[in-house]
Amino acid sequence: MTASYVDELHEKFSTDISYKSEDVPLNCVPPAKEIEATLHGVMKLNGLVIRSLEEIAGRGANAVTFRAGKKFGHEVAKYFQKRDDIEDALRELSDLLRGQYSFEVWKPADSDSFVIEEGGERFIYLVFHDCIVRQTLRRNGQEQAGPLCQTLCGYVVGAIEEITGKRAKLEIKHTGPNACLKKLILK
Amino acid sequence: MVKKMIEIIVDEESCVGCGLCVKDCPMKVFELKDGLSVPMRPQDCMGCLSCHEICPAQALEHRGIYPAKRHYVDIRVCEMLNRVI
Repeated sequence: MTASYVDELHEKFSTDISYKSEDVPLNCVPPAKEIEATLHGVMKLNGLVIRSLEEIAGRGANAVTFRAGKKFGHEVAKYFQKRDDIEDALRELSDLLRGQYSFEVWKPADSDSFVIEEGGERFIYLVFHDCIVRQTLRRNGQEQAGPLCQTLCGYVVGAIEEITGKRAKLEIKHTGPNACLKKLILK
Repeated sequence: MVKKMIEIIVDEESCVGCGLCVKDCPMKVFELKDGLSVPMRPQDCMGCLSCHEICPAQALEHRGIYPAKRHYVDIRVCEMLNRVI
């Protein structure tokens, strides 16, 4: 390694900035445009991890990622207020997912209520609009509804279970380039 | 607040009547009539844009949808494309 290269590195990482413990950063530095390459790198890496997991574990990959998401959901939601009412629980979930995912409750036009009872099941349709999983998959040209989507399913199920204290299930009904339809089954 | 309905417009001159949108839509919004796709139940459209993506003739237009945030778009590529278009 040449001395000039080491000097160059030292120069690059030397500043006159004094950092005090009370300095709390209020802005994301650098601006989003400058971290674009980082974002693409993370997306690419995430996609490759999932693709490799699928190649090695096959259908078991879904179970692994669902479990990981569920644990994450339980972990994050344990600091949130416990709710009995499903509407309040979904509101809490929205806060929890902010910045990563956004969803709305949805119903077919001929249905009177958002909580639908059909075939012995009680469920709510959720339409996911903004979704970092979809962005990652499309960035990498991978199929939707695979193991990475199961991470989100697990995340939502874990969070809902933690908030309501009841078991829940999330089924992927449809995936699209702009939104995905999911069925939250309440138990 | 009542949710605003999504308006779907089919360009009749472009539509080839392949029926892919009819098959792909989970809400059965479209039906084929006289060899053309007709949005029969636009009130059931959730704005997933699967039909938009699958349409080989690019004959569909949706008004009033929420466009999901696109983090994956490569800004440099888009800037270059904009210079060309």
